[in-house]
Amino acid sequence: MVVPWVGIPLGDVLKRFEPTSKARYVSFETLVDREQMPGQKRRVIDWPYREGLRMDEAMHPLSILAVGMYGRVLPNQNGAPIRLVVPWKYGFKSIKSIVRIHFSENQPNTSWNDLAPSEYGFYANVNPEVDHPRWSQARERKLGHFLKRPTLAFNGYADQVASLYSGMDLRRNF
Amino acid sequence: MSGRRLQAIAIFVMALPALALAARFGTQGLGANPIEEITHTTGEWALRWLLASLAITPARRWLGWSRLAPLRRTLGLASFTYAGVHLTTWAFLDLGLDLAAIFEDLTERPYVMAGMAAFSLLLSLALTSTRASMKRLGSRWISLHRAVYLAAVLAVVHHFWLIKADYWPAIVHGSILAALLAARLLWRARQSA
Repeated sequence: MVVPWVGIPLGDVLKRFEPTSKARYVSFETLVDREQMPGQKRRVIDWPYREGLRMDEAMHPLSILAVGMYGRVLPNQNGAPIRLVVPWKYGFKSIKSIVRIHFSENQPNTSWNDLAPSEYGFYANVNPEVDHPRWSQARERKLGHFLKRPTLAFNGYADQVASLYSGMDLRRNF
Repeated sequence: MSGRRLQAIAIFVMALPALALAARFGTQGLGANPIEEITHTTGEWALRWLLASLAITPARRWLGWSRLAPLRRTLGLASFTYAGVHLTTWAFLDLGLDLAAIFEDLTERPYVMAGMAAFSLLLSLALTSTRASMKRLGSRWISLHRAVYLAAVLAVVHHFWLIKADYWPAIVHGSILAALLAARLLWRARQSA
Protein backbone atom coordinates (compact mmCIF):
# COMPACT_ATOMS: atom_id res chain seq x y z
CA MET A 1 0.00 0.00 0.00
CA VAL A 2 1.08 3.54 -0.48
CA VAL A 3 -0.81 4.97 2.47
CA PRO A 4 1.43 5.55 5.52
CA TRP A 5 -0.80 4.09 8.23
CA VAL A 6 0.02 4.48 11.90
CA GLY A 7 -0.89 1.38 13.84
CA ILE A 8 0.04 -1.91 15.44
CA PRO A 9 -0.03 -5.50 14.24
CA LEU A 10 -3.50 -6.99 14.72
CA GLY A 11 -1.85 -10.18 15.96
CA ASP A 12 -0.31 -8.40 18.93
CA VAL A 13 -3.77 -7.37 20.11
CA LEU A 14 -5.45 -10.72 19.43
CA LYS A 15 -2.72 -12.68 21.22
CA ARG A 16 -3.66 -10.99 24.50
CA PHE A 17 -6.99 -12.77 24.40
CA GLU A 18 -5.29 -16.16 24.14
CA PRO A 19 -7.40 -17.62 21.31
CA THR A 20 -7.75 -21.39 21.56
CA SER A 21 -7.33 -23.72 18.60
CA LYS A 22 -11.09 -23.52 18.11
CA ALA A 23 -10.71 -19.86 17.16
CA ARG A 24 -10.21 -20.37 13.44
CA TYR A 25 -11.63 -17.04 12.34
CA VAL A 26 -11.76 -13.46 13.56
CA SER A 27 -14.79 -11.31 12.83
CA PHE A 28 -15.23 -7.55 13.13
CA GLU A 29 -18.17 -5.20 13.40
CA THR A 30 -18.34 -1.50 12.74
CA LEU A 31 -20.24 1.24 14.53
CA VAL A 32 -23.91 1.91 13.78
CA ASP A 33 -24.72 5.55 14.55
CA ARG A 34 -27.23 7.20 12.26
CA GLU A 35 -26.52 10.62 13.71
CA GLN A 36 -22.81 10.59 12.98
CA MET A 37 -23.17 8.50 9.84
CA PRO A 38 -26.39 9.60 8.07
CA GLY A 39 -25.68 7.17 5.26
CA GLN A 40 -26.72 4.41 7.63
CA LYS A 41 -30.28 5.70 7.65
CA ARG A 42 -30.81 3.74 4.44
CA ARG A 43 -30.47 0.00 4.44
CA VAL A 44 -28.06 -0.09 1.49
CA ILE A 45 -26.14 -2.62 3.53
CA ASP A 46 -27.51 -4.67 6.41
CA TRP A 47 -25.82 -2.61 9.17
CA PRO A 48 -23.56 -3.03 11.05
CA TYR A 49 -20.87 -3.49 8.43
CA ARG A 50 -19.16 -6.81 9.12
CA GLU A 51 -15.88 -8.36 8.01
CA GLY A 52 -13.70 -11.30 8.91
CA LEU A 53 -10.32 -12.96 8.47
CA ARG A 54 -8.97 -16.45 8.82
CA MET A 55 -6.85 -16.67 11.98
CA ASP A 56 -3.55 -17.04 10.12
CA GLU A 57 -4.40 -13.98 8.01
CA ALA A 58 -5.22 -12.04 11.18
CA MET A 59 -1.95 -13.07 12.81
CA HIS A 60 0.14 -12.08 9.80
CA PRO A 61 2.41 -9.09 10.52
CA LEU A 62 0.93 -7.20 7.56
CA SER A 63 -2.55 -7.16 9.14
CA ILE A 64 -2.64 -3.87 10.96
CA LEU A 65 -4.99 -2.12 13.36
CA ALA A 66 -4.57 1.50 12.35
CA VAL A 67 -5.26 4.54 14.53
CA GLY A 68 -3.68 7.15 12.29
CA MET A 69 -2.39 8.01 8.86
CA TYR A 70 0.15 10.50 7.49
CA GLY A 71 1.39 11.00 11.03
CA ARG A 72 -1.99 12.18 12.30
CA VAL A 73 -4.98 10.73 14.09
CA LEU A 74 -7.35 8.86 11.80
CA PRO A 75 -10.05 11.16 10.39
CA ASN A 76 -13.65 10.02 10.76
CA GLN A 77 -14.11 9.15 7.09
CA ASN A 78 -11.02 6.94 7.19
CA GLY A 79 -12.44 4.77 9.97
CA ALA A 80 -11.76 6.55 13.27
CA PRO A 81 -10.96 5.63 15.94
CA ILE A 82 -9.55 2.27 14.90
CA ARG A 83 -9.73 0.30 11.67
CA LEU A 84 -8.26 -2.73 9.98
CA VAL A 85 -5.73 -2.56 7.18
CA VAL A 86 -5.20 -5.78 5.24
CA PRO A 87 -3.05 -4.53 2.35
CA TRP A 88 -3.10 -7.63 0.17
CA LYS A 89 -6.88 -7.73 -0.03
CA TYR A 90 -9.46 -5.56 -1.73
CA GLY A 91 -10.30 -2.48 0.28
CA PHE A 92 -13.72 -3.57 1.51
CA LYS A 93 -11.99 -6.12 3.79
CA SER A 94 -10.29 -3.30 5.72
CA ILE A 95 -13.22 -2.58 7.98
CA LYS A 96 -13.44 0.83 9.62
CA SER A 97 -14.56 2.16 13.00
CA ILE A 98 -14.34 -1.24 14.64
CA VAL A 99 -16.46 -1.61 17.77
CA ARG A 100 -16.47 -5.40 18.23
CA ILE A 101 -14.11 -8.28 17.54
CA HIS A 102 -15.08 -11.96 17.86
CA PHE A 103 -13.30 -15.24 17.54
CA SER A 104 -15.30 -17.97 15.84
CA GLU A 105 -14.97 -21.56 14.74
CA ASN A 106 -16.78 -21.05 11.49
CA GLN A 107 -16.24 -18.63 8.66
CA PRO A 108 -18.15 -15.46 9.62
CA ASN A 109 -20.66 -13.64 7.44
CA THR A 110 -19.26 -10.53 5.80
CA SER A 111 -21.36 -7.65 4.51
CA TRP A 112 -20.41 -7.54 0.83
CA ASN A 113 -20.45 -11.31 0.56
CA ASP A 114 -23.96 -11.32 2.01
CA LEU A 115 -25.03 -8.58 -0.38
CA ALA A 116 -23.59 -10.12 -3.56
CA PRO A 117 -21.99 -13.55 -3.03
CA SER A 118 -21.11 -13.98 -6.71
CA GLU A 119 -19.22 -10.70 -6.70
CA TYR A 120 -17.52 -10.39 -3.30
CA GLY A 121 -15.84 -13.36 -1.72
CA PHE A 122 -14.59 -13.97 1.79
CA TYR A 123 -10.90 -13.96 0.88
CA ALA A 124 -10.96 -11.04 -1.58
CA ASN A 125 -7.23 -11.30 -2.25
CA VAL A 126 -6.13 -8.82 -4.92
CA ASN A 127 -5.95 -10.95 -8.05
CA PRO A 128 -5.66 -9.49 -11.56
CA GLU A 129 -6.50 -12.87 -13.06
CA VAL A 130 -9.91 -13.25 -11.48
CA ASP A 131 -12.45 -10.79 -12.83
CA HIS A 132 -15.34 -9.44 -10.85
CA PRO A 133 -18.40 -10.81 -12.70
CA ARG A 134 -19.13 -7.37 -14.12
CA TRP A 135 -15.70 -5.82 -14.63
CA SER A 136 -12.02 -6.61 -14.83
CA GLN A 137 -9.58 -6.39 -11.92
CA ALA A 138 -6.55 -6.38 -14.19
CA ARG A 139 -5.84 -2.65 -13.91
CA GLU A 140 -5.68 -0.29 -10.97
CA ARG A 141 -5.01 3.33 -10.14
CA LYS A 142 -2.39 4.13 -7.56
CA LEU A 143 -3.62 6.83 -5.19
CA GLY A 144 -2.37 10.23 -6.27
CA HIS A 145 -1.93 9.19 -9.89
CA PHE A 146 -4.32 9.86 -12.72
CA LEU A 147 -3.86 7.00 -15.19
CA LYS A 148 -4.12 3.29 -14.50
CA ARG A 149 -1.51 0.55 -14.40
CA PRO A 150 -1.56 -3.25 -14.22
CA THR A 151 -2.74 -4.79 -10.94
CA LEU A 152 -0.26 -6.96 -9.05
CA ALA A 153 -1.12 -10.29 -7.46
CA PHE A 154 -1.77 -9.82 -3.73
CA ASN A 155 -1.34 -6.10 -4.35
CA GLY A 156 2.42 -6.63 -4.60
CA TYR A 157 2.69 -8.60 -1.35
CA ALA A 158 2.89 -12.02 -2.99
CA ASP A 159 6.26 -12.77 -1.40
CA GLN A 160 4.87 -12.10 2.05
CA VAL A 161 1.43 -13.71 1.88
CA ALA A 162 1.11 -16.13 -1.05
CA SER A 163 2.14 -19.02 1.22
CA LEU A 164 -1.04 -18.56 3.27
CA TYR A 165 -2.99 -19.80 0.27
CA SER A 166 -0.79 -22.53 -1.15
CA GLY A 167 -2.94 -25.33 -2.46
CA MET A 168 -6.07 -23.17 -2.59
CA ASP A 169 -7.92 -22.54 -5.81
CA LEU A 170 -8.01 -18.75 -5.73
CA ARG A 171 -10.52 -18.64 -8.55
CA ARG A 172 -13.08 -20.49 -6.44
CA ASN A 173 -11.99 -18.92 -3.17
CA PHE A 174 -12.05 -15.40 -4.46
CA MET B 1 -37.81 35.87 -25.17
CA SER B 2 -36.56 35.20 -28.68
CA GLY B 3 -35.74 31.72 -29.90
CA ARG B 4 -32.08 32.58 -30.23
CA ARG B 5 -31.84 33.88 -26.74
CA LEU B 6 -33.53 30.77 -25.39
CA GLN B 7 -31.01 28.61 -27.26
CA ALA B 8 -28.07 30.66 -25.98
CA ILE B 9 -29.23 30.38 -22.40
CA ALA B 10 -29.96 26.68 -22.85
CA ILE B 11 -26.50 25.97 -24.25
CA PHE B 12 -24.92 27.88 -21.39
CA VAL B 13 -26.92 25.90 -18.83
CA MET B 14 -26.04 22.61 -20.51
CA ALA B 15 -22.36 23.49 -20.41
CA LEU B 16 -22.38 24.20 -16.67
CA PRO B 17 -21.85 20.62 -15.46
CA ALA B 18 -18.88 20.29 -17.81
CA LEU B 19 -17.42 23.57 -16.56
CA ALA B 20 -17.95 22.47 -12.97
CA LEU B 21 -16.16 19.22 -13.72
CA ALA B 22 -13.27 21.04 -15.37
CA ALA B 23 -13.02 23.35 -12.35
CA ARG B 24 -12.90 20.38 -10.01
CA PHE B 25 -10.23 18.77 -12.18
CA GLY B 26 -8.14 21.90 -11.99
CA THR B 27 -8.39 22.11 -8.22
CA GLN B 28 -7.80 18.44 -7.38
CA GLY B 29 -11.47 18.28 -6.47
CA LEU B 30 -12.27 15.00 -8.20
CA GLY B 31 -11.61 12.87 -5.15
CA ALA B 32 -9.61 9.69 -4.80
CA ASN B 33 -10.68 8.24 -8.13
CA PRO B 34 -10.72 11.06 -10.70
CA ILE B 35 -11.28 8.98 -13.84
CA GLU B 36 -14.22 7.21 -12.23
CA GLU B 37 -15.63 10.56 -11.09
CA ILE B 38 -15.38 12.05 -14.60
CA THR B 39 -16.93 8.95 -16.14
CA HIS B 40 -19.74 8.90 -13.62
CA THR B 41 -20.53 12.63 -13.83
CA THR B 42 -20.53 12.80 -17.62
CA GLY B 43 -22.67 9.66 -17.81
CA GLU B 44 -25.12 11.03 -15.28
CA TRP B 45 -25.53 14.28 -17.19
CA ALA B 46 -25.83 12.51 -20.55
CA LEU B 47 -28.83 10.68 -19.09
CA ARG B 48 -30.31 13.77 -17.46
CA TRP B 49 -30.18 15.88 -20.62
CA LEU B 50 -31.72 12.98 -22.53
CA LEU B 51 -34.58 12.74 -20.03
CA ALA B 52 -34.99 16.54 -20.22
CA SER B 53 -35.22 16.28 -23.99
CA LEU B 54 -37.95 13.66 -23.62
CA ALA B 55 -39.82 15.92 -21.20
CA ILE B 56 -40.23 18.76 -23.72
CA THR B 57 -43.11 17.24 -25.67
CA PRO B 58 -45.11 16.28 -22.57
CA ALA B 59 -44.50 19.81 -21.27
CA ARG B 60 -45.83 21.21 -24.52
CA ARG B 61 -48.87 18.99 -24.57
CA TRP B 62 -49.82 18.95 -20.92
CA LEU B 63 -48.63 22.39 -19.78
CA GLY B 64 -48.90 24.33 -23.02
CA TRP B 65 -45.21 25.34 -23.06
CA SER B 66 -44.83 25.39 -26.82
CA ARG B 67 -41.87 27.77 -26.85
CA LEU B 68 -39.62 24.99 -25.61
CA ALA B 69 -39.90 22.86 -28.74
CA PRO B 70 -36.53 23.91 -30.27
CA LEU B 71 -34.81 22.68 -27.11
CA ARG B 72 -35.48 19.05 -27.98
CA ARG B 73 -32.57 19.01 -30.38
CA THR B 74 -30.34 21.13 -28.17
CA LEU B 75 -30.87 18.83 -25.21
CA GLY B 76 -30.40 15.76 -27.38
CA LEU B 77 -27.11 17.06 -28.68
CA ALA B 78 -26.02 17.99 -25.16
CA SER B 79 -26.78 14.42 -24.10
CA PHE B 80 -24.78 13.11 -27.05
CA THR B 81 -21.84 15.38 -26.22
CA TYR B 82 -21.70 14.31 -22.60
CA ALA B 83 -22.09 10.67 -23.70
CA GLY B 84 -19.20 11.15 -26.09
CA VAL B 85 -16.96 12.51 -23.33
CA HIS B 86 -18.14 9.63 -21.12
CA LEU B 87 -17.17 7.06 -23.75
CA THR B 88 -13.87 8.76 -24.53
CA THR B 89 -12.99 8.85 -20.84
CA TRP B 90 -13.66 5.11 -20.60
CA ALA B 91 -11.79 4.13 -23.76
CA PHE B 92 -8.89 6.53 -23.42
CA LEU B 93 -8.30 7.43 -19.79
CA ASP B 94 -9.58 4.25 -18.17
CA LEU B 95 -8.56 1.58 -20.67
CA GLY B 96 -5.66 3.52 -22.20
CA LEU B 97 -6.90 2.74 -25.71
CA ASP B 98 -5.91 -0.87 -25.07
CA LEU B 99 -7.88 -2.55 -27.85
CA ALA B 100 -7.85 -5.95 -26.15
CA ALA B 101 -9.29 -4.46 -22.96
CA ILE B 102 -11.89 -2.48 -24.91
CA PHE B 103 -12.86 -5.59 -26.86
CA GLU B 104 -13.11 -7.59 -23.66
CA ASP B 105 -15.35 -4.98 -22.05
CA LEU B 106 -17.56 -4.84 -25.13
CA THR B 107 -17.96 -8.57 -25.46
CA GLU B 108 -17.99 -9.76 -21.86
CA ARG B 109 -19.70 -7.05 -19.86
CA PRO B 110 -23.42 -6.57 -20.51
CA TYR B 111 -23.50 -3.10 -19.00
CA VAL B 112 -20.84 -1.93 -21.47
CA MET B 113 -22.77 -3.48 -24.35
CA ALA B 114 -25.90 -1.62 -23.26
CA GLY B 115 -23.98 1.63 -23.00
CA MET B 116 -22.38 1.19 -26.40
CA ALA B 117 -25.77 0.40 -27.94
CA ALA B 118 -27.23 3.54 -26.39
CA PHE B 119 -24.31 5.61 -27.65
CA SER B 120 -24.55 4.19 -31.18
CA LEU B 121 -28.19 5.23 -31.31
CA LEU B 122 -27.38 8.70 -29.98
CA LEU B 123 -24.62 8.99 -32.58
CA SER B 124 -26.99 8.23 -35.46
CA LEU B 125 -29.48 10.70 -34.04
CA ALA B 126 -26.82 13.37 -33.67
CA LEU B 127 -25.56 12.84 -37.22
CA THR B 128 -29.11 13.21 -38.58
CA SER B 129 -30.11 16.07 -36.33
CA THR B 130 -29.71 18.82 -38.95
CA ARG B 131 -32.53 20.38 -40.94
CA ALA B 132 -30.81 19.15 -44.11
CA SER B 133 -31.14 15.62 -42.81
CA MET B 134 -34.79 16.16 -42.02
CA LYS B 135 -35.37 17.25 -45.61
CA ARG B 136 -33.39 14.40 -47.08
CA LEU B 137 -34.96 11.67 -44.99
CA GLY B 138 -38.51 13.02 -45.09
CA SER B 139 -40.95 10.81 -43.25
CA ARG B 140 -38.21 8.31 -42.42
CA TRP B 141 -36.62 10.92 -40.20
CA ILE B 142 -39.46 10.61 -37.70
CA SER B 143 -39.15 6.81 -37.64
CA LEU B 144 -35.38 7.02 -37.15
CA HIS B 145 -35.64 9.54 -34.35
CA ARG B 146 -38.08 7.39 -32.44
CA ALA B 147 -34.91 5.47 -31.57
CA VAL B 148 -34.39 8.07 -28.84
CA TYR B 149 -36.79 6.09 -26.65
CA LEU B 150 -34.72 2.95 -27.03
CA ALA B 151 -31.54 4.93 -26.39
CA ALA B 152 -33.00 6.23 -23.14
CA VAL B 153 -34.07 2.76 -22.01
CA LEU B 154 -30.62 1.36 -22.84
CA ALA B 155 -28.98 4.19 -20.92
CA VAL B 156 -31.05 3.46 -17.82
CA VAL B 157 -30.32 -0.27 -18.14
CA HIS B 158 -26.61 0.50 -18.57
CA HIS B 159 -26.72 2.45 -15.32
CA PHE B 160 -28.68 -0.24 -13.44
CA TRP B 161 -26.27 -2.95 -14.49
CA LEU B 162 -23.21 -1.24 -13.09
CA ILE B 163 -24.54 -0.38 -9.64
CA LYS B 164 -22.83 -2.02 -6.68
CA ALA B 165 -25.28 -1.43 -3.86
CA ASP B 166 -27.16 1.88 -3.98
CA TYR B 167 -29.93 1.53 -6.54
CA TRP B 168 -31.67 4.77 -5.63
CA PRO B 169 -30.34 7.12 -8.39
CA ALA B 170 -31.09 4.50 -11.06
CA ILE B 171 -34.58 3.99 -9.66
CA VAL B 172 -35.20 7.74 -9.82
CA HIS B 173 -34.00 8.01 -13.44
CA GLY B 174 -35.90 4.88 -14.42
CA SER B 175 -39.09 6.18 -12.83
CA ILE B 176 -38.78 9.51 -14.62
CA LEU B 177 -38.27 7.73 -17.94
CA ALA B 178 -41.23 5.43 -17.26
CA ALA B 179 -43.41 8.45 -16.48
CA LEU B 180 -42.31 10.27 -19.66
CA LEU B 181 -42.99 7.21 -21.81
CA ALA B 182 -46.32 6.65 -20.09
CA ALA B 183 -47.30 10.26 -20.78
CA ARG B 184 -46.74 9.69 -24.48
CA LEU B 185 -48.72 6.46 -24.53
CA LEU B 186 -51.53 8.17 -22.66
CA TRP B 187 -51.56 11.00 -25.20
CA ARG B 188 -51.69 8.54 -28.08
CA ALA B 189 -54.54 6.67 -26.46
CA ARG B 190 -56.44 9.94 -26.05
CA GLN B 191 -55.83 10.90 -29.68
CA SER B 192 -57.25 7.68 -31.01
CA ALA B 193 -60.16 7.63 -28.58
